[in-house]
Amino acid sequence: MGSVIKVEHISKQYVLGVTNSGSLRETIQSFFKKKETEKDIFHALTDVSFDVNEGDIVGIIGKNGAGKSTLLKILSQITQPTSGKIEIEGRVASLLEVGTGFHPELTGRENVFLNGTILGMSRVEVKRKFDEIVAFSGVEKFIDTPVKRYSSGMYVRLAFAVAAHLEPEILIIDEVLSVGDAEFQKKCLGKMKDVANEGRTVLFVSHNMNAVQSLCDKCIYLERGSVEIYGQTSTVIEKYLSNVMNVGNSTLLNAQKNRDKIEIKSIDVFVPGKLKSDPIWLKDEVHVLINFQIKIEMSFNVSLKLKSGLGDEVLNVWTKHEPIELGEYQAKLIIPGNFLNNLDYTFDLYLVGTDSTLLLEKHEVASFTVNEEVREGFYHKKIAGLVRPKLDFSIIHKS
Amino acid sequence: MNKSRLVIDSNKNNLLPNFKELIRYKDLFYTLAWRDFKIRYAQTLVGLLWAFIQPIATLTILYVVFGRFAKVETGNVPHLVFTVCGTSVWAYFSYVMTNSGNSIISAQDMVKKIYFPRLIIPLSKAVVGLIDLSVNLIILIILLFWYGIVPSANIIYFPLFIFMGVLAALGVGIWLSALTIRFRDFQQIVPFMVQLGLYITPVAYPAKFALQNLPDSVASIYFLNPMAGIVQGVRWSLLGGDAPGNMATISFVMVVLLFVSSLFYFSSAEKKMADIL
Repeated sequence: MGSVIKVEHISKQYVLGVTNSGSLRETIQSFFKKKETEKDIFHALTDVSFDVNEGDIVGIIGKNGAGKSTLLKILSQITQPTSGKIEIEGRVASLLEVGTGFHPELTGRENVFLNGTILGMSRVEVKRKFDEIVAFSGVEKFIDTPVKRYSSGMYVRLAFAVAAHLEPEILIIDEVLSVGDAEFQKKCLGKMKDVANEGRTVLFVSHNMNAVQSLCDKCIYLERGSVEIYGQTSTVIEKYLSNVMNVGNSTLLNAQKNRDKIEIKSIDVFVPGKLKSDPIWLKDEVHVLINFQIKIEMSFNVSLKLKSGLGDEVLNVWTKHEPIELGEYQAKLIIPGNFLNNLDYTFDLYLVGTDSTLLLEKHEVASFTVNEEVREGFYHKKIAGLVRPKLDFSIIHKS
Repeated sequence: MNKSRLVIDSNKNNLLPNFKELIRYKDLFYTLAWRDFKIRYAQTLVGLLWAFIQPIATLTILYVVFGRFAKVETGNVPHLVFTVCGTSVWAYFSYVMTNSGNSIISAQDMVKKIYFPRLIIPLSKAVVGLIDLSVNLIILIILLFWYGIVPSANIIYFPLFIFMGVLAALGVGIWLSALTIRFRDFQQIVPFMVQLGLYITPVAYPAKFALQNLPDSVASIYFLNPMAGIVQGVRWSLLGGDAPGNMATISFVMVVLLFVSSLFYFSSAEKKMADIL
């Protein structure tokens, strides 16, 4: 089978700041000013090339900001690459969000037609699949009610149902599985597997390694806008996890201050009794292990600062400051289950000597992502906060 | 198997919209137009009645001010009939102008998440505006019957002038939809343009006022307004009287220029829309 998607040397740059939008005044001013320097250019993608064969299910993984969404946007023609060329053979449908174009004033029925045609179906096609779509969504009773009266769960189910009934030759999907309740997610995964089995080509971006592992034959790992590795899913995920989970290992050992006094051997983040490739769930207890060797007898403590993936500081913990003899040691931190939120987290590591001298300061030595499995109740949007501890909060009948 | 083939090339620039693709997306075009139509009067008390109330109110005010107070001379033709010829195309033009400008910005959630020819958005606004046009034409026909006026033989040209009106509205609408993304200033400018347009278009007074009272050079500027010639043409085709002259030709040339240039400008702006929004 030949390749149906050929991506050749794609780069995408964004000009940061106000140069591109702005008002008439700015444009008129820029006529008189010399061209601005190139300082504010952000390289979202740099020289990305790969081929996808017909019938392949390809996962795209990478950390936030690695360029996954930009790549999908270019492949779906939403934005143009700055340089490079892409050839795609076959009808493409892209699903960067469920429910694009849904209008709250329109009924479920009307929105199915609207959304269906936006996704590239003809009206005849929507009409033909209409009953199937409605049955899949499970909102039959409310199909003639304006969607503004829907609960967010119903809304998402109807939206996904439309998307699930697209029949393109090539399907591009961005993390749409992370919606709805557990039962519905299972249904969606099943539907995705059907699509895969029908021999269609699928590009699938996800943070959920389980989903990627079970759906994709091949995988692309993007790191800072470039393809780090492209190959068999298991190999790529392994590489990704070793990079993400143990950012510290290589970089730390290579350039480590005060290595003659203390050497960090490894930093590990894991859930006891689980594989490293397994996702971390909200309820999981997360263990952080730092192995190090003391080469000179000294007094110090280990400090860890937990930050969100976006850089917000969450908390800071440290060991007791005490003299330590020569030898191998292990510092262990246990973060209880049901404490963190479903976010990306990273650690900054500090070794603090006497008089608060910093023996070592390393940022983002390890990162991990906490996932949400099932949510009860009707609220399906993101829960606010850097942490999400399970606190006792209830209503009591007073009289 | 015969497959569609798509090439995304950063070095290739489309000068004009891809018309074949536009035809392929015709269903989306219908759906969007239908959606706009559907939600235009959603949750209003009188619904579609608004489509009649607005033009009747405009017409009444113009009649009172120009027909009664200023006593504008309209020959044998009753002032009401005279004015409704103008308001019919003008209402359409101003609707499309007002709504196209913001159209892509209000559809930005869609534009950022999925590909389709962006031109469909302002085009669908032009279709929804046809409601206003038809309502005005209904009022026009009722008034013709009421006053027992038989249209002139020029009526065969009537569709041509309506078509020109649609083309002018599209040209301006497409220009504005693309410009407003780049320069939000147009959100402020457009309402002002619409307001001003009513005065510099011979809606409530005959075009000959402008021709007689202005020096030729200024009159030719007056007719740079595409609607000036179109309104004159619509009126002539129904009621006879002064045929659109040389000056009106300026308007017609403007219509074509605006429309063609809008397509070129839109195509060049289209690629960057999702990045700028």
